[in-house]
Amino acid sequence: MSTDDRTDHPDTPEPNPDYQPQDVGIDRRSFLVRLGAAGAAGAAVAALPPIAGRTAHAAPNSGTPFADVVRPEARTDPTECTISEAATLIKSGKLKPSTLIGAYLERIAKWDPQYYQAYNTVLYDEASQRALKLDRTKYIGPLHGVGIGLKDNFYTEGILTTANSYIFADFVPDYDCTALTRLENAGAVLLGKCQMGPLAGGRPTTPDGTVTTRNPWAPNDPSVTPSGSSGGSGAATAGRLATCTLGTQTGGSITGPGGSNGLTALKPTHGRLSVYGIIPLTITRDHIGPLARTAMDAAIVAQVVGGPDLNDPRTIGLPPMPDLVEAATPVVKKGRVVPRWPTRVGVIPGYTTGTNATALARVAMLNTLANIGFEVVDITLPDEFSLLTGGAFNVSSSERAEIDFKYLKQDVRLFGGRLTGWLPSIVQGGPEVAKGLRARLLLIDRCMSQMFNQCDVVMQTGSTFDGIGLPLCTYLIGFAPNAAGISLPITSVLGGPPFSEERMLSVIAAYQAVTTWHNRRPADPLVSSAKSRIAPTRITCRDVDRECRAAMEGSEIV
Amino acid sequence: MAVPTNPTDAELNAYILFRFGMLGIDISVLPFQDSTAQVDQVSVLSSCRSTLRQSLQLLDYELDVQTHIATYYASPQWAWTQMGEEGRISLAKRKQALGY
Repeated sequence: MSTDDRTDHPDTPEPNPDYQPQDVGIDRRSFLVRLGAAGAAGAAVAALPPIAGRTAHAAPNSGTPFADVVRPEARTDPTECTISEAATLIKSGKLKPSTLIGAYLERIAKWDPQYYQAYNTVLYDEASQRALKLDRTKYIGPLHGVGIGLKDNFYTEGILTTANSYIFADFVPDYDCTALTRLENAGAVLLGKCQMGPLAGGRPTTPDGTVTTRNPWAPNDPSVTPSGSSGGSGAATAGRLATCTLGTQTGGSITGPGGSNGLTALKPTHGRLSVYGIIPLTITRDHIGPLARTAMDAAIVAQVVGGPDLNDPRTIGLPPMPDLVEAATPVVKKGRVVPRWPTRVGVIPGYTTGTNATALARVAMLNTLANIGFEVVDITLPDEFSLLTGGAFNVSSSERAEIDFKYLKQDVRLFGGRLTGWLPSIVQGGPEVAKGLRARLLLIDRCMSQMFNQCDVVMQTGSTFDGIGLPLCTYLIGFAPNAAGISLPITSVLGGPPFSEERMLSVIAAYQAVTTWHNRRPADPLVSSAKSRIAPTRITCRDVDRECRAAMEGSEIV
Repeated sequence: MAVPTNPTDAELNAYILFRFGMLGIDISVLPFQDSTAQVDQVSVLSSCRSTLRQSLQLLDYELDVQTHIATYYASPQWAWTQMGEEGRISLAKRKQALGY
């Protein structure tokens, strides 16, 4: 049984009744005040943002990144710790950063080269040295000594950053991306660069298409995909090869691996987290986000990384970072978990249709949310939703072609199997791109006036929100066997209006407070298994063509 | 010159290859047709033809030129404008609809 009533929870302080999350709580006056303060924010570029954006909306029961209870399995095996648990143990002196990092490096050395293949580069020496230094350093913050991995398209000074491609095979940046700077300012230790779909497209493979990363829930079977393109990031977190990782998403590349690997993976609102120092795929759709184990962990990382960055104009002039840690702290009244805010959870048509394991898990998850006290409501989709989120209206590949034009002229073979994600837009005309960009406003208008007038958050089945930058978050809701009898994760994807991360995380945190799916750990690989010797598979024209067709239907994984 | 309203694959291929050639993009370095390869000329041309045919659907779609401006960053723009009281889909309207 993976759910319980948890009537033994100690009550938490009453949330501030005057505080409303940002999706309904921003008024013009406070917005203008923030705009006036935007210049001041520039002085803090690349500095650790405040954990809590508590100003006029200060809440009495501020959340804490520290765990009330550290599970016994996390005490005996540090790699089992969530960020929250690791932070609790490290802050109290019960776990040294060097012990935690050493445990990860040992596990990576034992399993990653032959099985998970979640990393492109492992920083054995650098991570060990930093951890030893942190042993002797005053406690910095919630990521003090916590081991993280970054997708291999995040700039890391002096460290190979390849985007797993021929194009960037030898690229060594001379500065860190904003995300890494902020993570390290909060005490994080970079364990390595995670494997990814070449040029941030598709399942992780070598640039010539040979399958690499495996799904930790089936580490002996390379045919089970960890999804892409942040598949290495997802596998590293799920396989306990890092406490948390970050990935990028342009069309499903965080939520896809988040789902396949059974994680709580947050694709924030566009602009919430700086993409300065990320090898771009597009200029208007690229996001970064955490692939974490829990809503609290996702909140901690987003809190640390998010906020204004003058190096990325897309982050300026937006609502301030709210207290995501507080939002991800479950509220308990009279021993029962209750919604932090009254919230309508929208269910799109067909979401629970059928009798397969996914449909049944969705029904059970919605019942759990209803039992907590969320209002679960059936909603209708906005007019022409499928059309407006479909492939014809996705003009972002023009951006890729524009960014990488010199490489297309140099040698199209540099793009390996991802070439068909670039070339078609070359033959598109300017009017199509202009129309696609104008249709984005129609789509977000319709989402706001015809979808989010019915609900606060909405269950999603794909990455249809990516083109307009709305936030999404996956979370684990069950397991089902595949055709080979391997039990694989079933995850749900929650979406919301712009800057609704607080509310989304509060819903998922409440769900995780009364369920235990997110605590399940995949078994280690079987060393003697014959399946572990299966020859590597290779991605061919047919696979790429299938992905392209999916992209045209709006379920792109890039 | 008559313009084909439903161009054939061959006509589209000619257009695509002309455009590539004009821009200096050479796909002849790829195998012509090899299903075991990661990518070949046939699959590239097929993807390009699909995109071109979809483009017609996109261009035929009518949008209000007064209200639907081009939007590079839809969600940030919503915050930059729509969260204000003058927004077309104002926060007040949404809060009213949801009963807040």
